[in-house]
Amino acid sequence: MKYLVDLGGERVEVALDAGGASVDGVHHTAHLADVEGTSVRLVTIGGVQHRVVARRGNSRGQYTLWIDGWRFDAEALDERTRAIQALSAASAGPKGPAPVLAPMPGLIVRVQVAVGDTVQAGQGIVVMEAMKMENELRAPSGGVVRAIHAVPGKAVEKGTTLVEFEQPA
Amino acid sequence: MIRKVLIANRGEIALRIVRACQELGVRSVAVYSDADAQAPHVREADEAVHIGPAPASESYLRGDHLIAVAKQVGADAIHPGYGFLSEREWFARAVRDAGLIWIGPPAEAIAAMGSKTAARTLAISAGTPVVPGTTTPLRDAGEAAATAAQFGYPVLLKAAAGGGGKGMRVVREAGEIASALASAQREAKNAFGDDAVYVEKYIEGPRHVEIQVLADAHGNCIALGERECSIQRRHQKMVEEAPSVAVSPELRKRMGDAAVAAAKAAGYVNAGTCEFLLDKNGDFYFLEMNTRIQVEHPVTELVMGIDLVQWQLRIASGERLPVLESPQPKGWAIECRITSEDPANGFLPSTGRIAHLHLPSGPGVRWDGGIEVGSVVGLSYDPMLAKLIVFAPTREAAIARMERALKELVIDGVETSREFHLRVMADADYRAGRVDIQWLESRLPTLLAQQAPAETRAAAAIAAALLADRERGGRRVAATPEGTASVASTSTSPAGTTGRAGGSSTWAQLARLESLRS
Repeated sequence: MKYLVDLGGERVEVALDAGGASVDGVHHTAHLADVEGTSVRLVTIGGVQHRVVARRGNSRGQYTLWIDGWRFDAEALDERTRAIQALSAASAGPKGPAPVLAPMPGLIVRVQVAVGDTVQAGQGIVVMEAMKMENELRAPSGGVVRAIHAVPGKAVEKGTTLVEFEQPA
Repeated sequence: MIRKVLIANRGEIALRIVRACQELGVRSVAVYSDADAQAPHVREADEAVHIGPAPASESYLRGDHLIAVAKQVGADAIHPGYGFLSEREWFARAVRDAGLIWIGPPAEAIAAMGSKTAARTLAISAGTPVVPGTTTPLRDAGEAAATAAQFGYPVLLKAAAGGGGKGMRVVREAGEIASALASAQREAKNAFGDDAVYVEKYIEGPRHVEIQVLADAHGNCIALGERECSIQRRHQKMVEEAPSVAVSPELRKRMGDAAVAAAKAAGYVNAGTCEFLLDKNGDFYFLEMNTRIQVEHPVTELVMGIDLVQWQLRIASGERLPVLESPQPKGWAIECRITSEDPANGFLPSTGRIAHLHLPSGPGVRWDGGIEVGSVVGLSYDPMLAKLIVFAPTREAAIARMERALKELVIDGVETSREFHLRVMADADYRAGRVDIQWLESRLPTLLAQQAPAETRAAAAIAAALLADRERGGRRVAATPEGTASVASTSTSPAGTTGRAGGSSTWAQLARLESLRS
């Protein structure tokens, strides 16, 4: 079975077979084993052991992996699922600029933009307080402020949509 | 000797104090909020008392209640740790007035040194060099702008009661000063209940080097060398070491003498730290004195061969310092603060339950932690989970040891600063000791954008594919009515069978799976 693995934006093809895995045409023996009573998995590739901690993401095939002192956001989907996903993504049409979401529970200190403002990627949008530190949340991409849901003084949960944007006209 | 100590703190420092008490044969009493009922510091102490709900203002910051608890359990002393009430003059005074021993400096010394403005005045009078700045809190934005113009930009706004980077702002131009002042005052008010902020000239490119001092109640005070704490993010220390590559024995002597002079001028007793900025010319400027045990005290303990927390108890019990000459450091120690912050996401705090914890050990490795499996990391308290400290004969060996220890460490359940520390340890500037207090902020983007070696990336891709394949297998069998899920879901054999389960039935099966999902 062939898997298409997205590794932080880079696409890697991994073909699994009964004995192991092929990456870039090179075949390695590969084996995954749990370490009983721990979150650690031992992945042995070509005889070399790697301790891996994996946390499942929000959707199928998504994992955050810690391996050899590095952290990866990975999405591993088999070829067919990847193809279906690509088709459905294409039919869904273009999406607007990404909104600013609360990355943690906390308190809104202030909102630094108004509806209709044009913002640049990286511009400070909302200031949140958590653990008595103020954190400035920045625009993930450029756009025009369409709606503001953040209210100064209000507590918000992780993942709350704070400010939405639209493409400039 | 003190017989029984109430520890008015939590987390790793509370556990550190419990350990010191046990080794001295002193009984320890832990206190805990609702959030810490299961915490390691509570269980390791001889006694434990519940003091209130999770918010610190209703538990760890209730000084009068803590004193009442100490009296109730028959403690004869209170150790405040760091943070919380450790540098509150009124609390030190209230403890003493209640007939208890305060394991820290006298209230008068905290008053003289606890406020940065007061400390400056004292240092100037003691002849210790200071950075140009105001000695009274700013009244308003107009005064801030006028003073900043006089010193020349950039300037630094600092909360008088501050610490840990809270209530601090660097201001680089006149247009920013009003909003920066408002922000610093608000942060200071929230964190310390005091919005007094002052302004000073901002010196670019210095190192943060601090001197540990230890003073007994008989007028003796010694310096215990320096700690290099230049690796900071938003004025928050991340990595500390002792000694410093920038400090020669001659400079160590001069800085030590300056620190001892300042401590003596304040009538200081117990453990304390004088913080200095050290510029490229070897000139140093007194910043402030921390009138408590510090987070990074272990690096001094390792290179000086002394237990500072035990000495805090011994000095509070009236013992004299055994040596009156400052010792020279032996070997090299490095500390990494392991925090529940996500370096990949702007160091935002991460919360969760520790699902798995594997601690590094072996030669020269020390773990001062306050977590274990099952600990819930919330937003009520500081994000520092633990300190990983190593000791080796040379700096090079200490760095290699820290890399090894960081790789051994596994914390599953919250994001941590572990990977960040590994990148710092591997950095060429860090390894050469070419750092100042601005180094991390400027280096951080490239440090965190580094790509793993190709071999590691390939291993990660294979691991992800193997995990996905295993789950796919598990789900496929789980959907069958026979319920043989347990066998297949733990199978670790790579797929290869999944796709060819026989012509049209594969599609039928997948369709059925799709309908079962969601």
